[in-house]
Amino acid sequence: MLRRHALTLGSVLLGALGLGAWKLFGHQPEEPLLLSARDDGDGNHYAVGYRLDGTRAFATRVAQRCHDIVEHPQQPLALFVARRPGTESYLIDLRDGRLLQTIVSRPDRHFYGHAVFHRGGEWLYATENDTRDPGRGVLGVYRFQGERLMHDHELPTHGLGPHQLAWLPDGETLVVANGGIRTEAESRVEMNLDAMEPSLVLMRRDGTLLSKESLPQQMNSIRHLAVAADGTVLAGQQYMGEPGEHADLLAIKRPGEALQAFPVGEEQRLAMNQYTASVAVHDALRLVAVTAPRGNRFFVWDLDSGALRLDAPLPDCAGVGAVKDGFVVTSGQGRCRFYDCRGAQITMQPLELPAGLWDNHLRLV
Amino acid sequence: MFRPKLLFTSLAAVLLGACSPQDQQAKTAAALAQQVILPTYSRWVEADRRLAQSALAYCSGQLDLERARADFYAAQKAWAELQPLMVGPLAEGNRTWQVQFWPDKKNLVARQVEQLLDSKPEINAAVLAKSSVVVQGLSAYEYILFDSNIDLADDATRARYCPLLEAIGQHQQRLAEEILVSWNAKDGMLEQLSKFPNPRYADAQEAIAELLRAQVTAIDTLKKKLGTPLGRFSKGIPQPLQAEAWRSEASLANIGAALNSAEALWHGADRQGIRALLGRDQQELVQRIDAAYAEARGKLEALRPPLAELLASEAGRQQLSDFYDSLNRVHRLQEGDLAKALGVQLGFNANDGD
Repeated sequence: MLRRHALTLGSVLLGALGLGAWKLFGHQPEEPLLLSARDDGDGNHYAVGYRLDGTRAFATRVAQRCHDIVEHPQQPLALFVARRPGTESYLIDLRDGRLLQTIVSRPDRHFYGHAVFHRGGEWLYATENDTRDPGRGVLGVYRFQGERLMHDHELPTHGLGPHQLAWLPDGETLVVANGGIRTEAESRVEMNLDAMEPSLVLMRRDGTLLSKESLPQQMNSIRHLAVAADGTVLAGQQYMGEPGEHADLLAIKRPGEALQAFPVGEEQRLAMNQYTASVAVHDALRLVAVTAPRGNRFFVWDLDSGALRLDAPLPDCAGVGAVKDGFVVTSGQGRCRFYDCRGAQITMQPLELPAGLWDNHLRLV
Repeated sequence: MFRPKLLFTSLAAVLLGACSPQDQQAKTAAALAQQVILPTYSRWVEADRRLAQSALAYCSGQLDLERARADFYAAQKAWAELQPLMVGPLAEGNRTWQVQFWPDKKNLVARQVEQLLDSKPEINAAVLAKSSVVVQGLSAYEYILFDSNIDLADDATRARYCPLLEAIGQHQQRLAEEILVSWNAKDGMLEQLSKFPNPRYADAQEAIAELLRAQVTAIDTLKKKLGTPLGRFSKGIPQPLQAEAWRSEASLANIGAALNSAEALWHGADRQGIRALLGRDQQELVQRIDAAYAEARGKLEALRPPLAELLASEAGRQQLSDFYDSLNRVHRLQEGDLAKALGVQLGFNANDGD
């Protein structure tokens, strides 16, 4: 009842009322809620929320497999975004897991698995594929009209095959990872491996291009992002060339500086099998964490010195997110883990969450 | 922050005084590590030690080519046996490329060995360690000992290739010894497969899952090793030179060695293998997997001539195709029914990421 009430008040009041209402409903900051897309053993897809002590908040069956989750800045809502080339994203009530709305991509468009809410709570930006010109990156811009999220307009991502996007700390500038790969509707097969154009784009939310950078190798697909509180951007890559070739799989763009390789050691680089999945930053501890599911390894580095803090085996490690004392990591195959990063030696503790079948991203709210 | 709950399964086990599935899995993982996996790694180290000595002896004229080849065959067999047991440090950091380069679609092994010897005739183990993985392992060793363009009876030819032969022997010995040391070290693989939780495995189920994954991956690779020369991935046109170990004509022997090793993981020593994890209600599956292994073994044993000869005739190709189908049954049963019965998730994001 209250939820409905809060939601129909419209966008003007969202900021004022939302956060308080959300807290009233038993959200305890000590016990973050882990949001993720997950499958069951029979291949059914779910949008799930779990407390880190293993308590299930909800597991809502959805028709299409999702990828990333974007939390509303004020309301107890999150959008579970369709994994490419999915066409349905799901707006979920975080208090009970109820499916509030299925957002269907427009004709000749599909989602790429990632989106962001603007800090005002009214606008949503989702990376999408223009399948009439396969791979041409667009941002689908959606706006709340009452409690419904409706398509409003579209912006170019100034690149091909966009994947993750994030806000810089000003909350107005978007950073977009254009993976550089063209794929068609209903397909995951790369069409242009010989002519990839990956790029990291900074743009305003009105679509104005601010900068466009790339890494030296054309086949090094820029895919996942994390932004630190000081505006440092971390980018995780997937290299589409030969297994033996040298590719920088983690890159960093410090404020005002160019995008460049993060100093990953040769042993760690080789262990990644040319593939990274999720990137997360711990602002208080100034750490960056990366999952490498093909190498079955999880890494943590010091963000400022570049020193390696952890190189640990973790089968099919998937999503990673920062909690107060370290990182929580999920897995497609094994148990989820908490890494306590407070001490000089990072320690691992298995979590009492269901094992396996977690998709590549998680959000802790 | 948050307080993780006590492990419910172990708590329940204590209260009930019962042997929980986790206990059984921990016992099985430890038994397999000690009785099946570690002995296979040790045999590999021994074979590589002999290989290093063999190269020196052959190059100093104390050993004939036939004996040198026999030592190579032993090292290659030991390597094949390791395939279904590829967990831990050897499986990480692209180390396996240093031992074997397959598939070699562009004949890189021959080209890179010749280029290396043209540019660095005084090659030694230290220089080799910094060279391409293509020339560091058994595939390059095989090329030297078996390629028809290399006449080792000729003194000048021997002088050209011997430094590389010796360097590969030393490189392989050092790599194998390092891996074995890390297995036996404190917090090494032997310990991590025996005591749970540890920094690698959150529980015994994860260890069993990884063993099954390694085994299933290896059997899938055997299908590729047979299917590639058979033309399964090239419109039915046989590709004998794409086979693993085609120069030494050991393709089928290698497949056999790996298959035996996969079966050893299934049975275990003293019946403490993955098979023992299936309950009374799953005996029908146990019998089907037993039968699938027996069938594959039987079909392989019936293949008498070398792979290249079989590929040359319609009857031979049919025999190979039958063997492929039997391998496929072993693979499917373990990847599907067995993984499900054990509650093991074999792949999710890793093979289909985003």
